[in-house]
Amino acid sequence: MRRLFVLVSLLLTLIVLAEKPIKIGAILPLSDITGRQAANAMKLAVKEINDAGGVLGRPIELIVMDDEMKPEKGAAAVDKLATVDKVDFFVGGMSSSVHLAQIPILKKYKKITVWIGAASYKCEEAVGADSDWYFHLHPWDYLQGESYAIGWKAITEKYPQVKIEKIFLAYEEGAFGTSSFKSYQDEFELAKQGTGVWTGLMKDLKGGPFKSAALGGGDYRAMLLQAKQYDPDLFIWAGYDADAIPMLSQAKEIGFSPKLFVGAPPGWPADFGKNPLSNGVVLYGMWAPALKDVSAIAKHFWDAYVQEFNEEPATYFAPLGYTNIYFLIEAIKKAGSIDDKAVIQALREIEYESPVGGVLKISPSRIIKNQGFRAQKILQWQNGVQHVIWPFEYATANLIYPFPGWSTK
Amino acid sequence: MKRIFNLYTFFLLLLVVVALVRPYAFFYGLQRGSLYSLIALPLALILGIVGLLNLAHGDFLTLGLYIGYILFNQFKFDPILSMIFIAPILFVIGLAVYKSTIEKVLKSHHLNLLLITFGVSITLVELINSLWTSRPRNVYVTYATKSISLFGISIGAYEFLYVAASIAVLLVIMLVLKKTRFGQAAFAVGQNPRGAAIVGINVKLVYTITFSLATAMMAVSASLMMPRVSIFPNLGGPFTMKSFCLTAMAGLGNLPGILLSGITLGIAEAIVQSIPGYSGWSDLVFFGVLILVIAFRANRGAER
Amino acid sequence: MKTLSIIAVLALAIILPFIADIYLIHVVSTIMIFMCLALSWDMMLRTGQLSFGTAGFFGLGAYAAIIAVDDFNVNPVMSIFVGAVFAALTSFGLGIAVLKLREMYFAITTLALTSVFTVLARNLSDLTGGAAGKILFNAIFDGDPKKTYWLILSFTIVVIVLSEIFERTRVKYAISSIRNDELVAKSSGINIFKYLLIVFVITSAIQGAAGAIYAQQYAFVEPDSTFSANFLLLPIAMALVGGIYSTIGPIVGALVLGFTSEYLKLLMPYGHLIIYGIIIVLTVIFLRKGVYGTIMEKIRSK
Repeated sequence: MRRLFVLVSLLLTLIVLAEKPIKIGAILPLSDITGRQAANAMKLAVKEINDAGGVLGRPIELIVMDDEMKPEKGAAAVDKLATVDKVDFFVGGMSSSVHLAQIPILKKYKKITVWIGAASYKCEEAVGADSDWYFHLHPWDYLQGESYAIGWKAITEKYPQVKIEKIFLAYEEGAFGTSSFKSYQDEFELAKQGTGVWTGLMKDLKGGPFKSAALGGGDYRAMLLQAKQYDPDLFIWAGYDADAIPMLSQAKEIGFSPKLFVGAPPGWPADFGKNPLSNGVVLYGMWAPALKDVSAIAKHFWDAYVQEFNEEPATYFAPLGYTNIYFLIEAIKKAGSIDDKAVIQALREIEYESPVGGVLKISPSRIIKNQGFRAQKILQWQNGVQHVIWPFEYATANLIYPFPGWSTK
Repeated sequence: MKRIFNLYTFFLLLLVVVALVRPYAFFYGLQRGSLYSLIALPLALILGIVGLLNLAHGDFLTLGLYIGYILFNQFKFDPILSMIFIAPILFVIGLAVYKSTIEKVLKSHHLNLLLITFGVSITLVELINSLWTSRPRNVYVTYATKSISLFGISIGAYEFLYVAASIAVLLVIMLVLKKTRFGQAAFAVGQNPRGAAIVGINVKLVYTITFSLATAMMAVSASLMMPRVSIFPNLGGPFTMKSFCLTAMAGLGNLPGILLSGITLGIAEAIVQSIPGYSGWSDLVFFGVLILVIAFRANRGAER
Repeated sequence: MKTLSIIAVLALAIILPFIADIYLIHVVSTIMIFMCLALSWDMMLRTGQLSFGTAGFFGLGAYAAIIAVDDFNVNPVMSIFVGAVFAALTSFGLGIAVLKLREMYFAITTLALTSVFTVLARNLSDLTGGAAGKILFNAIFDGDPKKTYWLILSFTIVVIVLSEIFERTRVKYAISSIRNDELVAKSSGINIFKYLLIVFVITSAIQGAAGAIYAQQYAFVEPDSTFSANFLLLPIAMALVGGIYSTIGPIVGALVLGFTSEYLKLLMPYGHLIIYGIIIVLTVIFLRKGVYGTIMEKIRSK
């Protein structure tokens, strides 16, 4: 009898130990659509995994903190998750400046961190080369520039009529826009010397800054006039979602209609596709809703998200948040424990087919060892739908070239 | 008098020179500057009469834009025409906000008024954010992107409405203040509330009506801007700040000065933006001119 | 009794890192930074001058400190003095030009100066790192939160003492007479301009030092977030919520609003800022003299 009691209590302790959840702490800007949808997608992933029995026989617990887009709040959230909630892993991220404030704190704990935000190269410098525990899934700003070159090269081969020699980059004057421009300038210097990815493609580059509508600006006409005078083959603007339609309507107003009109904001305004101006606009992005027609995992994610939250994923941070959780959990599964070394090793080895479109595999970037996605996609708005043009394996439509212009809009 | 005349002549001459040398900067600056003035006028009115620096000013503009967006999206209402609906709705909202918050603290320290509008601003912005998310909305009508030829250059026609509207709104305000009984009462309250109360003016009522009317006036800028801007929760903040700047540059109680200041700053900004490679400095010129004008007038003793 | 409670609070503040978790220490550190800004803003307000330049000098100090460490190898602790001195010198030069202005004109000019600083920080990229900002690889004390806390605490104590000196000495007499009636102050022989300049320079130095500490704590500066309007509006709200024209008011206000915003967020992850705004509105309506002022009034009337 007594032996039985000991055995039962031992078993019970084992079950309790096994049932103790693996805690993941997420830090996101919940008042912004990117952060809110990323948090939703993370909750969805956690729910799916727990419904399937968790990982290593343990359930997952997700604790989400709002960074309010304020650096000091985002940094304090790291301390809270680490010391009060005692989480095992950090995930999340959006704004680069919030992340800059978090990096010194993250370095203090050295817990495994899998980050989906913060594209600024300054963040990579701040993290440094020795941070084995740090995994960055979002492409750095300079990686994005490289990937477009690869994309356009492939496109010019497939569509010989497409010419991309003169590029005009309109960039918002904040950190996001200027670092985009800087990376293009660096690539252009390399291209002139005959090295680098843009070689043979970019022959001339010109930039024009503007003040984003998101920060109280929104008059682009002076800059657009300069662009019109320059007459580029490819016009790109790097700004925010609030700039999208005013930029188009002002381009229409001054009659500026380049052969390729490209936008590279992190998100698009609501109903952009329904706006007649949008037709034929090319965009850079990590993801498009249309991917659900060519990728099973993207379809699964889309349907599950819509069913769970009764809204459509509107930004790529939704599939990215979902990826964030699954990628980490797959690694834990492979590692067979949540021991740091084993999980780091596993994170570096696994390949994860992501709803963002593409296989996620860690490789080194300029400074850090653990970089995830490297490429953006080249997409195009066609009749209200974001279609994938490149990579061709995910293509959902052919490129409309040249940009149809304004006469029918 | 002669000195003022000289100043205006100088200013006009400067404008002509700018128009000849950089016509695009001149027209763009004129259009933008008029919009700034159009938004600043109600703020100056509230400041002049109620003595309230309204930090939630721009957020009422945002609210007006969202109302117009709904009218356009649900009922296909023309943005400019929707003014007639936005104005009364904003009037009621302004009245409700005034009665429930500002009026209750009128008698305490004037900085408490500033703080309460700060609280109202946060609440409005976050309420808008939770109702419509941070994703921008847009209203598209083809006529807002038409261009006309002027003196040999092609220029966007729509934003000249800003110029016309700011002049019209200014004239209406001036007329109301001078010719109507309410306007005269409001003017007297702005000059000296205690004196006005003694001669039997209902100061409380004047405050209420002024605040609500000024809020309703934001319908003009909201409906005119609608087809040209993205509508999102934080849109208002920068416009509140620009309105403060214009009011300070014009000097308290100087309504025509707001139009003048707006156009000056708009053109100064546009000139810098038109110089390739230097457009990042346009804010410096905007605020530099502002500081210089305020300091210049202070040294003449106007602000003492 | 009063001395005793001050000693008790001080002792608690000093030993806090031994009894509280790191999160609380971090939250209190941030609150103290904002408390210093609120105090400095109030110190200026006591002269009758409404300043909207808090964020501007905060940012200047932050940039000066980061540049001092990164480009001139200054010790991070010393760089806080660099930030303070740089803000003080700038405010001295500017003060001569703008302190003649009164009321709204002074307020808007200081606000405009903040924008000018931001544009400079964004465009002088060789020195400031431009729009992307500038980072340090290591935070101050290698990110040790307890040492950082004590540093901020010491700084806060200095600011509180300064504010009390202003309250109790001849300066107080001079500045409150400027506020109440400038003409009378002038005729009683007070050199208004000199006192205004002294107060402006000292408060700017406090703001510069606060910015420097903040920048060293998080090891970066970036134009938009370093000159953010948060560093202007929140301190003002704190001072007003607590009660202006005093030392204790901004302290209480910073604690109340600081803890409210942080713990409200834990209670309701979505929409907590709506409640925060409503709390501010209600405080103004029901506690007209600020939290502290109203409580004291209630106690006295009993």
